[in-house]
Amino acid sequence: MFETRRLRSRIGLQILLTVLVVPFVFPLYAMVQGSLEGLGWGNYATVLSLPVLPKFFINSALISAAVIVIVMFCTMTAAFGFSKLHIRFKEVYFWLLLICLTLPGVVLIAPLFATVTRVGAYNTLWAVIIPVAALQIPFTTLLARNFVDGIPSELIEAARVDGASIVRVFWDILLPLSRPIMAAVLVLVFINSWNEFLLALLFLQTPDQQTITLVPSFFVGQYNNDQTKVLAAAVLTGLPVVIAYVFLQRFFERGLAAGALK
Amino acid sequence: MTTSATTNAAGVATERSSRRRGGLARPTGIPWILPALVVSVGVLYYCIGYTGYLSTLKWDGASPLQLQVGLENYARMFRDPIFWRALGNTALFYVVTFAVQVALGIVLACLLHSRLYLKTLYKVLIFVPVVLAPATTAPVFRQIYAPTGTLNTVLEGIGLGGLAQPWFSNGTFALFIIISVQIWQSTGVVFILYFAAIGQISPEVIEAARIDGAGDIRIITSIIWPSVRGTTIAIAILSAIGSLKTFDIPFLITSGGPTYATEFLGTRIYRISVQYSDVGLGAAFSIVLLLLAIGTAVLIQVGSRTREEKAGV
Repeated sequence: MFETRRLRSRIGLQILLTVLVVPFVFPLYAMVQGSLEGLGWGNYATVLSLPVLPKFFINSALISAAVIVIVMFCTMTAAFGFSKLHIRFKEVYFWLLLICLTLPGVVLIAPLFATVTRVGAYNTLWAVIIPVAALQIPFTTLLARNFVDGIPSELIEAARVDGASIVRVFWDILLPLSRPIMAAVLVLVFINSWNEFLLALLFLQTPDQQTITLVPSFFVGQYNNDQTKVLAAAVLTGLPVVIAYVFLQRFFERGLAAGALK
Repeated sequence: MTTSATTNAAGVATERSSRRRGGLARPTGIPWILPALVVSVGVLYYCIGYTGYLSTLKWDGASPLQLQVGLENYARMFRDPIFWRALGNTALFYVVTFAVQVALGIVLACLLHSRLYLKTLYKVLIFVPVVLAPATTAPVFRQIYAPTGTLNTVLEGIGLGGLAQPWFSNGTFALFIIISVQIWQSTGVVFILYFAAIGQISPEVIEAARIDGAGDIRIITSIIWPSVRGTTIAIAILSAIGSLKTFDIPFLITSGGPTYATEFLGTRIYRISVQYSDVGLGAAFSIVLLLLAIGTAVLIQVGSRTREEKAGV
């Protein structure tokens, strides 16, 4: 893109890039450095020795897993239906979904709170799982539909002519061809549900039900605002998503870009 | 497109095997989209309807006493000076984050399309803030700007101790800190979208411009900027909705303070519904926030279409 044939301009651009990227790294550096002040790795030992910590991790993992299963199932079936099957007033249904893209989670708190307490789901993981899944499906369906639109309909027709049922077409043709977008949906949904804060804050009240995003505030209370422990806890809670992202980076970027370029 | 696909299927079917004709002609897709509609549209529209109903009540969220007050909550909302303050904060937040992210995103995307070293590493570093929860990163920002925090220590270290101050006590600084955290957090998304869009511009066009003597800046303004217009519009919509949705960052870093300087509609709704237990008023805020989000998305979409038509003529 930019002129890089002369060594001088190439070095100049490399320096410019580095200068622009430093502000992105600095808070992360400050986070790790702050977590090692005072007791050094001892801060991590203190945080890890807390008996409730594994519960926070397990709860976040359970919520993420349940949300991923629900969202993946709804997204792939809907993408298939919207893209390849005959549905009367199809675009109306699609627009109903798209309008939900604009929905901020915070506008749901009053009705959700009333409903969750009425059905007895208060302080259970379901109170977070269902709304988080509902909020993600519009975007993942948009991404997946765009992707499935690119799969030639002839493939599906050919299988139908050979006598395959719709379910088999979905299972044996559509899903294998959709692996890239499924990977993108997987990472996206994992990150969003792992990072969910507001609904967990509202609906999960006891430490044995709480999630990883509530850990820093939990530690603020626990350690009387001892910043080093709070930062060590923050580093530990951030690690799983960073690892997930780094390993699945290619899928994630491709999926996001594929959805937005349309 | 799908209509033609199904008639195609039907056509092929009559030629090859007429006995399957009925099944092939119209495989209805309703059962396939039903799970998504039930989980997403069902839950969310139910909540929106419920919020609309709650917005006509005077209710503390717990007591059995619910009083019908009609549109009184909306009238109270428009009289609330903090409502207007929050809207103003949102507008400033939107304009600044959008402008900075677009500029940074395009420059970074162009740089990472050039022949430079360690490009994957840089990409990952730009994107890592996107995947981290504000709940995870908020403590470090509170630490950096705290009275005895990193920023003041650095300022004193380089002999500018006079500039050191409790940053969060100043409303303007607090708001710009919130804005800068948002930019830090979401420039990665903007960058990835531009990176993909610029990848679709054919290199010959850029080579040709370069041979004609265009410099780097000229190439950005005359070739890249017009080519990524669609992406810029998508980003304008995404960040408008994102600005209206802003909650986690101000809630966790400044709690909307000092004296409402970093209050946004989201934090206002939380404060009113949860801390003041005024569920009806909170619901009225929610409905207005929702209408603003949908309205802004439609407005930007329509606005960009009309400009396109004008450009076409």
